[in-house]
Amino acid sequence: MDHIRNFCIIAHIDHGKSTIADRLLERTGTITEREMKTNQVLDDMELEQERGITIKLHAIQMKYEAKDRKTYTLNLIDTPGHVDFSYEVSRSLAACEGAILVVDASQGVEAQTISNLYLAIDAGLEIVPVINKIDLPSAMVDQVKHQIMDLIGCKEEEIILASAKMKMGVDEILEAVVHRIPPPKGDPSAPLKALIFDSIFDGYRGSVVYIRVVDGTVREREKVKFFATNNIFDAEEVGILEMQRVRTKELSAGDVGYLIPGAKDVHDTKVGDTITNAVNPADGPLPGYKEAKPMVFAGLYPVNADNFSELRDSLEKLRMNDASLIFEPESSVALGFGFRAGFLGLLHMEIIQERLEREYKQELITTVPNVEYRVVKTNTEVVLVDNPAFMPPLGEIEHVEEPFIKAQIITPSEYIGNIMKLCTERRGVYKNTTYLDPTRADLRYELPLSEIIFDFYDKLKSTSRGYASLDYEFMENRESDLVKLDILLNGESVDALSTIVHRDKSYEWGKKLCAKLRKLIPRQMFEVVIQAAIGSKVIARDQISAMRKNVIAKCYGGDISRKRKLLEKQKEGKRRMKQVGRVEIPQEAFLAVLAMGDE
Amino acid sequence: MNAFLESLHNEIEMYASYGAEEQFETIFFGGGTPSLLEPATLEEILVHLRETFSIEPDAEITVETNPGTVDYKKLAGYRRAGVNRLSFGVQSFYDDDLKFLTRIHSANEARQAIHTAKDVGFTNINLDLISALPNQTVERWRRNLDEAIVLEPQHISAYNLIVEKGTPLARMVSARQVSPLPVETEAEMYEWTMQYLHDEGYEHYEVSNYAKPGFRSRHNSNYWNHSNYLGFGPSAHSFWLNRRWWNTRSVESYCHKIAAGQLPLAGEERLTGDQLVDEAVMLGLRSNGVDLALLKSKHQIDLLSSVRPTIENLLHENLVVLDKQVLRLTSKGFLLCDAISESLLSRVAGA
Repeated sequence: MDHIRNFCIIAHIDHGKSTIADRLLERTGTITEREMKTNQVLDDMELEQERGITIKLHAIQMKYEAKDRKTYTLNLIDTPGHVDFSYEVSRSLAACEGAILVVDASQGVEAQTISNLYLAIDAGLEIVPVINKIDLPSAMVDQVKHQIMDLIGCKEEEIILASAKMKMGVDEILEAVVHRIPPPKGDPSAPLKALIFDSIFDGYRGSVVYIRVVDGTVREREKVKFFATNNIFDAEEVGILEMQRVRTKELSAGDVGYLIPGAKDVHDTKVGDTITNAVNPADGPLPGYKEAKPMVFAGLYPVNADNFSELRDSLEKLRMNDASLIFEPESSVALGFGFRAGFLGLLHMEIIQERLEREYKQELITTVPNVEYRVVKTNTEVVLVDNPAFMPPLGEIEHVEEPFIKAQIITPSEYIGNIMKLCTERRGVYKNTTYLDPTRADLRYELPLSEIIFDFYDKLKSTSRGYASLDYEFMENRESDLVKLDILLNGESVDALSTIVHRDKSYEWGKKLCAKLRKLIPRQMFEVVIQAAIGSKVIARDQISAMRKNVIAKCYGGDISRKRKLLEKQKEGKRRMKQVGRVEIPQEAFLAVLAMGDE
Repeated sequence: MNAFLESLHNEIEMYASYGAEEQFETIFFGGGTPSLLEPATLEEILVHLRETFSIEPDAEITVETNPGTVDYKKLAGYRRAGVNRLSFGVQSFYDDDLKFLTRIHSANEARQAIHTAKDVGFTNINLDLISALPNQTVERWRRNLDEAIVLEPQHISAYNLIVEKGTPLARMVSARQVSPLPVETEAEMYEWTMQYLHDEGYEHYEVSNYAKPGFRSRHNSNYWNHSNYLGFGPSAHSFWLNRRWWNTRSVESYCHKIAAGQLPLAGEERLTGDQLVDEAVMLGLRSNGVDLALLKSKHQIDLLSSVRPTIENLLHENLVVLDKQVLRLTSKGFLLCDAISESLLSRVAGA
């Protein structure tokens, strides 16, 4: 056990986590340079590579012969870099004794780095600070050094200077991992306690769990119990994670590896749960398990109504691999039959959307995302509303509560004014400002989650020329003066366009939404009146005048073919539109709210 | 005989077998400037056609005529050769418009040519006119129609200008040398045309076509009824049952292929059942209406039950009328003809 080191890498997107990981794999001979394709090894999903972020966790074992001539087993546990997955990050951290903190020499410390760093410090991890990309002309090594020293209270000489691209600093990092990060503790003969820090779905084997054994030993064919679900399974296969799974038949305290329990899908083997021996169980699970809680909800509808069951199958397949995705069927007057899905956050939603479109070839209409509201009715009944269309009538509502988050924004100080203005517009409650160094501030706000799920991040970036970064965590539900805003087209309410907004913003919101819809809905053969209403009260109105002329003058023998082809194309376009009453609505209109910020 | 005419005659021969299957009721000389043909040449073609195919004795035989290319002698010759309908590409009674359209004739030549046609005995004459020319006012368009009416043609084709891709006009528009009229003005002109020609006793029987009773173009109506037709010459289109094909545009390669004993085809298509339905609805709406009973018996599509809400909307908006199983556009409907085809067909399952 003395020769095992379990660690992870904490870094902001693009600060070089994957490149550093690749260099470590290369240097330890875990992978040859030739095997190293153009992209980083740890991001194997196409989507992840494009986004340059690691969405799902993985782990890999390396053998390293250190300068002390001893060979160490290094388990690198990957962590997702996005705020939507902070729970998964915390579970990965719990599987480690140390973390490499990577900061880009030209960018400095960012919000996600700090929040993940605090999670690591809270988990008692030893931090190995690394400044990456020191070869860049824009590197500000001294400044970044001071940021890091202020942040973790380390000495200047403890900071490793590296350029993963230029293969500089790799040995120093490996030596620091071996000598600064403590070996795992734990008793191999105690009752089994193994932390699940990730699970994936394998089409042939069902769920494969990635575990860190904290105490005890797990062997193949033993009965293992999962605390959270109380399920008992056979340990069908146990092994370690190299480039592939390598069967070792047992894992002991301190080890990182995998276990195949013969469970149907990842819902039986939840991240954060503890595995123990069913015959000789531990007295309780490891601390820190939480049910993944979806924060953002949206309707997913097939463009073509015939593809409803295909969409359901695709979602079910995705759910086998993703315990945090939830969905249930719903129907909409405007969109027909579809699903209301819950996601950890906006990025998670985008990932699911893209995977459905790319991997499962589904054509989707996604409604505007919303949070879940807690509605207390006048009869004291409490209902949770994850679809604005199902908001109880005004008269039945005593009050509405919405989720608030704690936001941390790191920004160069010259943008503080812009950012404060943005947060105020988004109903933010200012808490305080601290300075990381004279030029970089750390702003704390409390914000309604609903105000940041649309375009807050883009706005934050554009108002700070790309420099500000954001991190947040759920805080609590708070009462707010919220109303449901309905959109009516020629007097008929379009359920999929209903939104819940703060009363103070409802008039402006209604006006803008009507104007946006006027642009997005094409002229029809009759006039279309667009109205925004709260209850029965119309608060904004716009209209689209009827199409005036739409006929091509000539159609003789030589024109018919061409004309028919044009018609076929137009027909296809029309078919993709949804019909409410007599009005045909293009898909983009259902996301009008999202596009409103462009005005 | 020149090479082109020789090829034309040879091409007619290549289709001789079609003569047994169909009784032809119209012949149309169109595309390019067929009125450049001398009467004797035209007569040879007609004679050849009559020898090769079964053609009704009272067939409608039309020549598309450019007013700048004909005189008394030529028109009289056409008449003697058996031509019984002339279609004059007048376009406008304003010389500056004609110049803009790069026509070789003047307004006066057009008037003269029509008088001459009447003098030699033609009693079935069409005038082509173009509305919505850049800078054209509604007033000027009205005066064009007035001028046309004075000449008492049996038929008027009034086309809204189409800016076709790749034409000099399209280039002028994209270079902002000319600006197309606002849709509102185009619509006003169209509305006025429909009303005015109706008042003058013309029946509006297709988007752009108006005829005195009994003078609808039988030839063009056949296009819109999915009837069989054969086309000869470069760029000519043919349609037979469910097959459509078209000849190469280039005269040179046309002649070359025929000399080599090949059909001078540039393309062809076999229409699926769905495509035939699309065309039947599209062409029907443009002209005499969609015969719902026929659509049902011929294509097994019951439009009335499959898209009832759409049809009800259209009826409600006064865009169509339903007259004994025939769905026909109103004047208001003609303005939105293409949008109506789309909305009907996009809701037909499978079509």
